[in-house]
Amino acid sequence: MANNSNLRKRMFANQMHKEIFSLVFSAAIIPTVIVAVSLYYFIFYVTAEQIGIPETIAYHIVPAANKVTKMLLLVIPTVIAFILVIAYKITHSIVGPYDRVIRELNETLGGERKGPIMLRKNDRFWPLVSAINDLIQKIEQ
Amino acid sequence: MKVRRTLYIYLISVLLCAGVFYNAFAYDFPKWFPFNHARALDEWQEKVFKGKVLYAIELGQEQGFLVAQSNKASSGLIHRMKLDVRKYPMISWQWRVKKFPDKSIKSTESGGWLERDDYAARVYVIFPSWNITNIKSLEYIWDEKYPEGTILTSPFSKNIKLIVIESGTRNVDKWVSEERNIYKDYQKAFGRNPPRTVGAIALMTDADNSLSSAETFYKDLKVGYQNGQ
Repeated sequence: MANNSNLRKRMFANQMHKEIFSLVFSAAIIPTVIVAVSLYYFIFYVTAEQIGIPETIAYHIVPAANKVTKMLLLVIPTVIAFILVIAYKITHSIVGPYDRVIRELNETLGGERKGPIMLRKNDRFWPLVSAINDLIQKIEQ
Repeated sequence: MKVRRTLYIYLISVLLCAGVFYNAFAYDFPKWFPFNHARALDEWQEKVFKGKVLYAIELGQEQGFLVAQSNKASSGLIHRMKLDVRKYPMISWQWRVKKFPDKSIKSTESGGWLERDDYAARVYVIFPSWNITNIKSLEYIWDEKYPEGTILTSPFSKNIKLIVIESGTRNVDKWVSEERNIYKDYQKAFGRNPPRTVGAIALMTDADNSLSSAETFYKDLKVGYQNGQ
């Protein structure tokens, strides 16, 4: 139980991380699903409608549709996993520095630390942190 | 607030357009196809499965009819519609078989089942579905051998049921009238109620699997009316 809780803590830094992750994931997955379903529907449904005769549809279109469905069943979980990883990386690079900036600002305000706020190479908010560091430097002078 | 109002207006407009579009394609029923004028096939589209069957209007005699001649070919004539089969379940027509496909010529592959899937006369009632693996079809057929009332499943799909409504050669080269209740036939063939909408009807005379030839005449096709109308 404790391990699960720790894992969850490690996965999502806070509620905002979870919310942004959900937003990024939904923003990627919903259009992907809509486009995939629409393409599948339009290609096969419209073709079947054009062909008209049920035997022809059953003989030519249904086997192709079944093959594509099998391929989609393999591809879709891979795409979802890929989107999950990308969404996690993006949100992590946003929420991680955001948390650190607040924590280090509080520490600086409380006199527990001195010097500039540090960011990792791939973190976001570089211009903001750089401006805050300039401000801290000015105040410290 | 403004965004929500715009969204509502947009949704209402879309729904209105959809309604207008749907009604623009609404049909007056019953629909009657007497096949008695030169442009009678303009309302029908030919769909080819294996080779083209000759479909032509014969005007010279008996107030006109549709001639279908298949020589090792399989193609059908399809007419699209939106018919509420619960309201208007009846279909009727006349057909006259001149020549049955010779199914003894070739019956090797798949135990002959596929090769026997040739019929001098078929009338299709097609129930569309957004899921193409769920498109259902009833086919009324005239077969030489199967007794009347036999319900067969097509070798191509379990969603295609063939109902033998005329059997044998006793009426060969004679006009035979048929009238069917699509709703009841669907229940009997599929064991459940049909979808609300019939999306198309079709006619076919084929002899492609048996590599033989067949010839049938059709006339007075009427669809979309109530029993006794």
